[in-house]
Amino acid sequence: MRLSRRAMIKDGMLVVSAGMIMPAIFSRGVASAKTLASEGAHTSQAASDRTLIVVQMAGGNDGLNTVVPYTDALYKKMRPTLALTENKVLTLDGRLGLHPNLAPLKTFWDQGHLAIVEGVGYPNQSLSHFQAMDIWQTLDLNGNGGEGWLGKLVSGWVDQDGHPFKALDIGTQTAQALASISSPVPTMANTQSYRLANDPFDADGGNARIQALMKLYNTYPKSSPYAALLDTTALNAQEGTRQLRAADAAYHPAVTYPTGPFAAGLKVLAEAIVQGLGLRVGYVTLGGFDTHANQQATHDTLMKTLAEGLSAFYNDLMKHGKADNVVVMTWSEFGRRVEENGSLGTDHGTAAPLFVLGNPVNRGIYGEPPSLSSLDQNGNLKYTIDFRSVYATVLDRWMGASSKDVLGVSFGSQNFLPQS
Amino acid sequence: MDMHEQPTMPWQGGDVTQGQGPEPQGVSQPSTGATSARRAGGVSRRKLVFGLAGAGVAAAVGGVAVEQWLQHGGLSTHGPVAGDAQIGHLLRRAGFGATPEELATYTSLGYNGAVDRLINYQSVSDDDMENRLKALNLDLSKPQEQQRWWLLRMAWTQRPLLEKMTLFWSGHFTSSFRKVGGGNAYMRMIVQNQFIRSHAFDTFDNLLLGITSDPAMLFYLDLTKSRKNAPNENYARELMELFTLGLGHYTQQDVFNAASALTGWHIVGNSTTARYNPNDHNSLTKTFLGHTGKLDYKDVINILANHPATPWFISRKLFTFFAYENPSNDDLNPLVDAYVKSNHNMGEVMRALLLSPQFTSPKAYRSRLKSPTEFVVGAYRALKIQSNGSELPGVTTLMGQPMFDPPNVAGWPGDKVSALWLNSGTWMTRLNYIDSLLVRAANRNNASSPVDLQAIINANHIDSPEHFVDYFTSFLLDGTIDQDRRAQFIDYFNTPDTGRARGGSVTLTNGKSYPLNRVRGTLYLIMASPEYQLN
Repeated sequence: MRLSRRAMIKDGMLVVSAGMIMPAIFSRGVASAKTLASEGAHTSQAASDRTLIVVQMAGGNDGLNTVVPYTDALYKKMRPTLALTENKVLTLDGRLGLHPNLAPLKTFWDQGHLAIVEGVGYPNQSLSHFQAMDIWQTLDLNGNGGEGWLGKLVSGWVDQDGHPFKALDIGTQTAQALASISSPVPTMANTQSYRLANDPFDADGGNARIQALMKLYNTYPKSSPYAALLDTTALNAQEGTRQLRAADAAYHPAVTYPTGPFAAGLKVLAEAIVQGLGLRVGYVTLGGFDTHANQQATHDTLMKTLAEGLSAFYNDLMKHGKADNVVVMTWSEFGRRVEENGSLGTDHGTAAPLFVLGNPVNRGIYGEPPSLSSLDQNGNLKYTIDFRSVYATVLDRWMGASSKDVLGVSFGSQNFLPQS
Repeated sequence: MDMHEQPTMPWQGGDVTQGQGPEPQGVSQPSTGATSARRAGGVSRRKLVFGLAGAGVAAAVGGVAVEQWLQHGGLSTHGPVAGDAQIGHLLRRAGFGATPEELATYTSLGYNGAVDRLINYQSVSDDDMENRLKALNLDLSKPQEQQRWWLLRMAWTQRPLLEKMTLFWSGHFTSSFRKVGGGNAYMRMIVQNQFIRSHAFDTFDNLLLGITSDPAMLFYLDLTKSRKNAPNENYARELMELFTLGLGHYTQQDVFNAASALTGWHIVGNSTTARYNPNDHNSLTKTFLGHTGKLDYKDVINILANHPATPWFISRKLFTFFAYENPSNDDLNPLVDAYVKSNHNMGEVMRALLLSPQFTSPKAYRSRLKSPTEFVVGAYRALKIQSNGSELPGVTTLMGQPMFDPPNVAGWPGDKVSALWLNSGTWMTRLNYIDSLLVRAANRNNASSPVDLQAIINANHIDSPEHFVDYFTSFLLDGTIDQDRRAQFIDYFNTPDTGRARGGSVTLTNGKSYPLNRVRGTLYLIMASPEYQLN
């Protein structure tokens, strides 16, 4: 159902009159493909049926109360009010258990579709939300990064034409992981808002106005400020609207999604996958994890929202026969301090577990849960797995990309995904 | 959603090694020691305010800046940005764009006079706006009505820079209604907003003192939960990282100690007021950024406001927001000078910024994407939309900027890197907003009607398609569009409507009629154009 941009032009969907300047993105796309080929760089293709969904748990999720070391006496000792007891947690392996509201994730575990990577962090972890988020999203350990790791992956794809939804960010602001000036990723809160309104008095359904509009963007001088960004944006909007309209008409969710923006966002991603819009990277954020005070009620709700949303998403894909093509990965900028604070909450911490979920996943717990008896000078956990090796695993083993090209350096792989 | 580092560290980039910026330092100024800290501790808030009464100093700073500016070309015709465009540029950056009448008013003052009028906002009455707002009877304890109230202020104000500064400071000293206490405590957001507005050009010290004891901030960054023997380090960290110094100038030990020094402030019950409780202040001796003593919040703020990294940090953020991204240290020098010489007066820093040659240089011109607020309020102002504003909060939210709700304590990522405001989704939301102003009644619940183009044509004696395009581009695009683009607008105006004109027509003052959809479609294209997306 998808047409490349060139075909789209031939079809007259976007009438480009003779003498019009070739939009910058075309020439750039051709040039970059040539460069990549000549340099022998291996980047992945935009056209593939494998999808990665990244779930950001913003604010610093309390890893110790997510994957709970309930058998550790130190855990109970350092968290006199917040510790989750054995009778509450969902036991995994006799030493770790899931937060009680993660029951849907426990089901995935029982079915063999959940991997837990323990102790994820990096050297000299930052306790600042913003620096930590920068590090996780841009891999710049100084926290001054620009382009995101997923943005780099997306902009490295060589066959981007006609794939406006190769990556999609749910929300109204672009996550920095997806930040890329050369290949802006669309954001949307829902599919209905992703279209241009027409003047009802235009007898041609707005065609002439849209053509005049697109011409203004096509002829916007290339040397002008933000020329490539504006041009690409307009073209993607045009083609994306057409694809999404068709998808909306055809998609019927196979499950009832929970209410709230997180599940609604996952539903949009499911629609893109089920309707074959070429989605390769989907991104959705669940915020509110910065639980400095009165943590328990907030964290309980967030765990429930996370697990129920992911469960609906997975089951929808299952029933549409798409679950084999999708891997979900969660992350948060840091875990929280081992010892609870005086406000019934926890302060900024370091290493934490993350989830990888999906049919292709090898079930298991990877990496060592950090020791509660050997903390750093701030009373925080010492990481055991570098987050970049998690990224490398996903890139190499799932996305068919060269993690060395995307991440800049080689990091070892984890075995939560099979070698492709 | 996502987070962004403050734009650039003072020591980042090539020219830093030239010694213009401060050295990054874990621990600074050991020389000042305990004595100076205690003296600093004795400085009262009132004395701090008096300190800036050195008006002579302030004037001298302005004078130097003007001289530099003139040496760099100033208003000369071969200067950086043409004279007419300069005022349009100024009012977009130091405000929210302008109507033809506002452009005329400010142009008649000359560039320096225009800057004076913007900074000396007390000389311009905003009673009309206040009365109109009062008449709306908004319930300011509700977040949605707060958003509407704030956006309408920006749309109706005659003090554009004051409102723009309020927007800037709100993105700097961030709080969000999502974490302010709920219920009646939502009002704390308004209290904070009014504090920021009334001190927008005050000393940085006073801004810091006020925001530290601000109820919304006390709640948002947990200082109200901080106890004498259980300091909460959230506010202490962000105070240094995001509000004053930036990363690299302090250690984790400084965070611990600042948190301890800052104990004592609490919100009173569920109210919108705060109180300092000396009995809940940790009065032990502590060392903070090299100063040792029985430090309290006033000492912490005094040390931070006088730290050499602070003027660079805040100047960089202001310059990035108002002029262009990735400024050099040379670009920031006049601002840092003004900060130091005026005893940290932010009005003088702003004057130095707006009068700097960089601000009116081609590098600054259209160098930033309009933020959602700039786009929404700018179009609303320029077209003199008459509505109760109930449609506005939802529009900025869909474009990625829900008012009073920045994504995190680092504020709006787009304030630092404006390109991040734009993608295909937010772009369409922008264009659909323009469409709603011109074509649809802005909102089903709203009594407003589309812009009355016939009235504008009559009032301005617009007698040709060329005149129509020139009239609107003069204040929407500074009249600086290429001939080719002007021709595209005129072409669209003249394109015959292929169907029956169902929407009636508009008659120019030469007596010739054109289909309404073509006329308003032309204005839509002007405001949907690439150029109009830029600020």
